[in-house]
Amino acid sequence: MRPEHWLFTIPLRLRSLFRRAQADQELDDELRDHLEQATEQYVAKGMAPGEAQRRARLDLGGIEQTKEQCRDTRRVNRIQDLMQDLHFGLRLLRKNPGFTSIAVLTLALAIGANTAIFSAVYAVLIKPLPFKNADRLVFILKKNVPRGWSRNPISPAEILAWRNQTEAFDDFAAYTESSCVLTGAGEAEEDPCETITSNLFPLLGVAPYRGRSFTSEEDKAGVQPAVILSYGLWQRRFGGEENVIGRSITLNGVSHTVVGVMPANLSHLYASPYGSVPGMWVSGMGLAAEHTSNDYFGIARLKPGATLAQASMQMDTVSMGLEKVYPDLHGWRAQVMSFRTNSSADMRPALLVLIAATTFVLLIACANIANLLLARGAGRANEFAIRNALGASQGRLVWQLLTESGVVCFAGGIIGVLLASGLCKGLAALAPDTLLRAAPDLAAGTANVRVLGFAMLTLIATTFLFGLAPALQSAKPKVIETLKEAGRSSLQSPQSRRFRSALVVSEIALALVLLVGAGLMVRTLAELIHVNLGFNPKNILTLRAPLSGDRYKEPRSRAQTWEHVVARVEALPGVEAASVSRGLPITGWSGQYFTTADNPIPPAGQVPVANYVIVGPDYFRTMQIPLRRGRGFNDHDTQSAERVVIVNEKLARTSWPGQDPLGKQLRVGDDAPWLSVIGVAGDVLSQGADGRIHSEIYVPVGQYPWLQGPQHLVVRTSASVKPESLIRAVVEQIHRIDKDVPVTDVETMEQITLESIAQQRMVMALLVSFAGLALGLSTLGIYSVLSYSTAQRTREIGVRMALGAERGRVLRLVVGGGVGLAGLGLAIGIAAALLLTRLMTDLLYGVPATDPLTFVGVSAVLGASSILACYVPARRATKIDPMVALRYE
Amino acid sequence: MSKPSDLVQGTLDMLLLKILALEPMNGFAVSQRLKQVSGDVLQVSDGSLYPALHKLEQEGWITAEWKTSEYGRRAKYYSLTRLGRRQLEKEADNWGRLSSAISRVIKIKEA
Repeated sequence: MRPEHWLFTIPLRLRSLFRRAQADQELDDELRDHLEQATEQYVAKGMAPGEAQRRARLDLGGIEQTKEQCRDTRRVNRIQDLMQDLHFGLRLLRKNPGFTSIAVLTLALAIGANTAIFSAVYAVLIKPLPFKNADRLVFILKKNVPRGWSRNPISPAEILAWRNQTEAFDDFAAYTESSCVLTGAGEAEEDPCETITSNLFPLLGVAPYRGRSFTSEEDKAGVQPAVILSYGLWQRRFGGEENVIGRSITLNGVSHTVVGVMPANLSHLYASPYGSVPGMWVSGMGLAAEHTSNDYFGIARLKPGATLAQASMQMDTVSMGLEKVYPDLHGWRAQVMSFRTNSSADMRPALLVLIAATTFVLLIACANIANLLLARGAGRANEFAIRNALGASQGRLVWQLLTESGVVCFAGGIIGVLLASGLCKGLAALAPDTLLRAAPDLAAGTANVRVLGFAMLTLIATTFLFGLAPALQSAKPKVIETLKEAGRSSLQSPQSRRFRSALVVSEIALALVLLVGAGLMVRTLAELIHVNLGFNPKNILTLRAPLSGDRYKEPRSRAQTWEHVVARVEALPGVEAASVSRGLPITGWSGQYFTTADNPIPPAGQVPVANYVIVGPDYFRTMQIPLRRGRGFNDHDTQSAERVVIVNEKLARTSWPGQDPLGKQLRVGDDAPWLSVIGVAGDVLSQGADGRIHSEIYVPVGQYPWLQGPQHLVVRTSASVKPESLIRAVVEQIHRIDKDVPVTDVETMEQITLESIAQQRMVMALLVSFAGLALGLSTLGIYSVLSYSTAQRTREIGVRMALGAERGRVLRLVVGGGVGLAGLGLAIGIAAALLLTRLMTDLLYGVPATDPLTFVGVSAVLGASSILACYVPARRATKIDPMVALRYE
Repeated sequence: MSKPSDLVQGTLDMLLLKILALEPMNGFAVSQRLKQVSGDVLQVSDGSLYPALHKLEQEGWITAEWKTSEYGRRAKYYSLTRLGRRQLEKEADNWGRLSSAISRVIKIKEA
């Protein structure tokens, strides 16, 4: 169109839009003028005035229709109609507060839940990782397929060989996790830290906020070590001072030069999802090709065009060469994965199950509202017939109905998005640490643009999903039929009834799938909570207090300090027993190779491994780990006495099957002294409540204080004393002995146990809420369909009763219809659940995905609630007074 | 409600533009003039006349103003705009070409 054209048309459009009343008045005037003139003309031709007027009207066709056609030419009708529909829709919604609140509330809940879960899904699975060309970054661990081990850290020997002998990588970095005790200038504190190769940050493409990254010179062991601070530590400990760069700080008793500070928003998604977010990074990796200790994680950048598979194949070839030189590396192959796979680790199945569940809830909510709309649409048949007769096209009516459902949807959406913020916070409260680390925004409850976009899309899809079908149904022109029935409530068409039935059936089927999912998770949790951990987690307080620095260089001073601490803590009122250890059940398992005197040189690849736990004399009594054979440790197990060890039942069974383990000998490491087995302890779950039982080796603090010192204090309180109540007293006792010892990870053993099943608890809590919502909605759905159809059949039922049908018969008639729908829904639901629950096998523990008890149980619950939903309208039907029913209308 | 299906698509617009090109007039007068000049051959119902006029107005080809007629009643008078005149020329040209082409075809003698 030419600009000149717009000169004429724009004012016209604006006038039509904003001076609509005037435009309509003028249209009325113009047509009335025409009618008057035409009538005059007919009268002039000799017609009677009445007849003349009628002819003039006939010539003009339907006046209202002509007017509507004229208005159509204004081209702004869509907007005007929308305004009008909105106005009308709002008025209708205000008039039906019951319908409105149910529809808006269910939608708000469904959209809120969807948006909240999507926030988590987005953060973990979709959001681009904040690194340079993140799609080419890979995380490198290793696996030992023959022995069934995976996600194992790698050794310097492998890092150097893979870096130097493969072609697939542009660059290869590594890091190792440790803890740094920061002393001097204020209270001592322990922070998780990472020792990194100097190329790590350049490889990731992240620049320091202040100062610089490490230089390759600083990679070498023996040069002045350097440290880079995290933004948080810099602010908290150093007050964000600029002059911190170049300053010396003492870490684990060694002086380090601060060379840089990383930015506040540095993502930790480059690291293992199980590692702690570091407070600082330390230089001086000093990788040596002959080291085979598995303490490292590899991070590499693939060459452009190189694939994971290629890299993996090249690394396997290198590994095959390595294992010939280093027997310790026998059977180990690289486990290369994309950053996304690494960072989303085991959250993916849970998140996918949850997003599927919320989608189901949304679908059920939509089906429910569609049902309510259909019922309302049928009630408004008269209105639509009259509108149609007055010139509204079917398309126009569909638009009107869509606008009305759009209003519901919009209201639901707004409330839903507001709810989502709260739900995100709730989700964060339930979420396991791994999820919180991958989705740090979750706790803040702030939705980002993409999440809001997702909510908007959901809204629009929802409007059409629940609005379109009822709109098309209701807007069908049935002018003659409807007007003939004149005021009588119109019977719903068989088609519409079938459609509503289909909606109810699908609601019930979807609800059943959700209920089965929730049921399986409840069973999983029940199994996990009642699983025998091998010790008694009640009334145990644990904390970590690493002794480091000059004062504790001597192993003896460490051992003595612990002895003093334990003695003081045991003297506290309410304490039953206390002990020290390095390593706690549930929190993790790190394998050490060992050999037995009966089998001193096992073939490569069959060297047994066990968790190596250093414990104080009263450890077993404190944890209440039963001793099956032999004796526990005591104060006589010192350096000068015979070297002793306690093994768990699993190790005894696998190393000396059918023999008496007492008196047998084993050692950890080739040059280590032989240890005599003096006792057999019960098995404990060292990897978490859902983990497997592994071999364990317990050695006494009194004989090994020089290997690695113990770090954990475990305190058992008497049954009447809450372990949390002793925290202050215990920490005070430690600080009385040395005020510089940092105390961290203060937790009860019960908290630790719960954390290990946090993901299952989150999924269960959410699925149970979703399933509850689904149960309520589908029950409401079947109730509304049945009460509506019963109301419509009032006359029929009245006639039946007048003709002698008994109440029982009427009851069966009505309930029967509903039960048929429910039965069909249950059958489809069970079939779908059998297919779908298999996808959640990864989340289940101790219960098969097709657990018959769960299936039968939830079907019974849903069936019972459906029958109840049918019974209420059915009872109402039996109360129908035939006389009233027949006189009705 | 009958649509001018007996009129060639688009010709109603051209006829209305032509009629209004002669002098500004109101809807009733347009309807009378249409019947008069076409000798009742072109059956344009009053019901489709007004939507057509409004469409031309919205296109910017004709403009309307309220005037008092010779009988003393206020009526909406339509008149052609500059754009409308150009449109009329274009459509008349097209029509001329089309009708002469058709008449040439019709006049072909049967051999």
